[in-house]
Amino acid sequence: MNLIEALKNKRDQILATWIDRTLDSYVSSGFFKRSKDRFANPVGANIREGLSALYDLLLSKAPREDYMPSLDQVIRIRAVQEFTPAQAVAPILELKWVVRQILSADKNTRHLLSELDSFDCDIDRAALAAFDMYTACREQLYENRIRELKSGSYILTDSACPSALARRKAQDEPPVH
Amino acid sequence: MAVVKVDKLARSVVEGPSLMTGSIPTKPWMEMPVKFKPGNYAYPAKPDILQYLDSQQGLSFPNAHEWNPEDDDWHLPENWKEIIIKGLADRLDRFRSLKIFMDCCVRCGACADKCHFFLGTGDPKNMPVLRAELLRSVYRNDFTLAGKLLGKMAGARPMTAGVLKEWFMYAYQCTECRRCSVFCPYGIDTAEITMMLRELLLMVGLGINWAMGPVTNSNRTGNHMGLTPQAFKGNVDFLCEDIENLTGVKVNPTFNRKGAEILFITPSADVFAEPGIFTCMGYLLLFEYLGLDYTWSTYASEGGNFGLFTTNELMKKLNGKMYAEAKRLGVKWILGGECGHMWRVVHQYMNTMTGPPDFLEVPKSPITGTVFENAKGTKMVHISEFTADLIKHGKLKLDKSRNSHVKATWHDSCNPARAMGLLEEPRYILDHVVDQWWEMPENTIREKTFCCGSGTALNTDEIMELRMRSGLPRANAVRYVHDKHGVNTLACVCAIDRATLTTLMNYWVPEVTVAGLSELVGNALVIEGEQRQELDEGLRTLV
Repeated sequence: MNLIEALKNKRDQILATWIDRTLDSYVSSGFFKRSKDRFANPVGANIREGLSALYDLLLSKAPREDYMPSLDQVIRIRAVQEFTPAQAVAPILELKWVVRQILSADKNTRHLLSELDSFDCDIDRAALAAFDMYTACREQLYENRIRELKSGSYILTDSACPSALARRKAQDEPPVH
Repeated sequence: MAVVKVDKLARSVVEGPSLMTGSIPTKPWMEMPVKFKPGNYAYPAKPDILQYLDSQQGLSFPNAHEWNPEDDDWHLPENWKEIIIKGLADRLDRFRSLKIFMDCCVRCGACADKCHFFLGTGDPKNMPVLRAELLRSVYRNDFTLAGKLLGKMAGARPMTAGVLKEWFMYAYQCTECRRCSVFCPYGIDTAEITMMLRELLLMVGLGINWAMGPVTNSNRTGNHMGLTPQAFKGNVDFLCEDIENLTGVKVNPTFNRKGAEILFITPSADVFAEPGIFTCMGYLLLFEYLGLDYTWSTYASEGGNFGLFTTNELMKKLNGKMYAEAKRLGVKWILGGECGHMWRVVHQYMNTMTGPPDFLEVPKSPITGTVFENAKGTKMVHISEFTADLIKHGKLKLDKSRNSHVKATWHDSCNPARAMGLLEEPRYILDHVVDQWWEMPENTIREKTFCCGSGTALNTDEIMELRMRSGLPRANAVRYVHDKHGVNTLACVCAIDRATLTTLMNYWVPEVTVAGLSELVGNALVIEGEQRQELDEGLRTLV
């Protein structure tokens, strides 16, 4: 059995451990792990779907742009939760540890551990992409804050009333003769 | 891309199989203190705002002071514990519902996974049962025999500064949307527990500026934005000019007109902020089309009632203002716009608090003759009820193709849906104004609708992250109908929804915009003598 075959054979086991560990990062994770309803449990379902798809794409050596939507499913959520940037993207790197755990537990796959360098590198690339995505999400948050400030109440509540503004304008402009 | 030193990185991961991802609870919830940091709390109310409110007749906002949630010392009054316990005793005495809610929860957990804050955070204190337990534990300690005798064993704990901080954290991580109550077999209204928590916090001078600023403005000038009558009228006039430019229809609304048949009240955001102004243009066009005998009021120039989640007395005062204005102008009944909190107050508290408003008549549509028996008590009809009735009687000429740019889904705004049962009318209207629209999944609509995550004055920008995570369950369902059906418009009937869902969509589903229902009606309305331009995006087309 070569490495890719082993990773395919052990897919369910690897994913189960990986997803479990990722969801363990929430203080009360029981429901996130248990409920399979993607509308009742958006965090659990999106992380499950995102990580599963990402795993398959990594195995198929997919380019970055192909797995960005799956990463987005996971990182966009974690970027607005109370994680540090490192904690938010850490699940991607944890795949390395999970894969080693699962492959080393089986004597038929143990010998493949030494061949993981290339797969590790793919995971690293995905983790770096996750960091890009995290940053983009945070920037979007700040842009949204600015847009709300500019567009709405702020202008009206924290500035002078229209008649005062008109009066000030009249004072500032020299009279026309 | 730089090549990572595989060896080094792999070793650091493999050799230290710690949970890099974060925390697993190691202590019981009572022993986990809250931690305030930028992004997880709304800014405190400015002392001068609370002092102003405290000076108003019938209102009490004592102990205003400067404080910062991130500091250890919140500069509380010396006798703060006494104030809180006395305040709780007083409320247990005055509100029978609170006493029942404190006693009857069996902790079955039916509510636990229904809250959008819990679903977005995984924080157990955001489970409605546990949020209520924050108050209930203190209640047990001071007001029940079991709690007094057994203490912690009976789930009791004394009031401490740590508990108070917990209250502030979680009373402002609840939008009082009442989704949890739908699932509670005992009918516990967790929103009312949050209301009590916020009232108690305000007794020791702890409130948030985004709630207290708008109520202060509303108390002073009649609307959240503090618009003077001239500015309010000026904004509506401005919208009328826009309507004329877009459609060739001249609209002439009246203000503070005594003797009008109907008083129209809507959130002030409809008058000044996008995308609410397009909804407002929809109202103006509809009323012009009908030749309705109605007036705006520049004093009752706000539907939204932030008193609902501030104090009982303030809620009463702001609600009373609408009816006082109806009386002053001598109208027969009130027509209400697309608002959220206004309708909860009107339907669930108004009649025992302000009303019954016997000086008004049971609302009767002057166009169809329909008597709105459902509004017999409040004398106030929702614009969607009014519009649906017009369509039902064939009184509106509607051209759906004018909304051909819209592929809609329907967001049941929490308060109109759960607090007044407005479920069918908006759907009926949508059926008649757009070609196609799609429902979101069953467990995210109607009574089970998910909140926008920004109600009860949590629509402020400093807690943007919190809003995004609490709005995730709603956005997640929108994402589904967008991906499946190409939905590009989220329609709703609430001013806070229109403003905050716009931001929420921008983060989660940027392909989707937010529209008020009356905007879609305005788009589709065919008016005699109009000279409508090619409006590819309806009333929001830039010409």
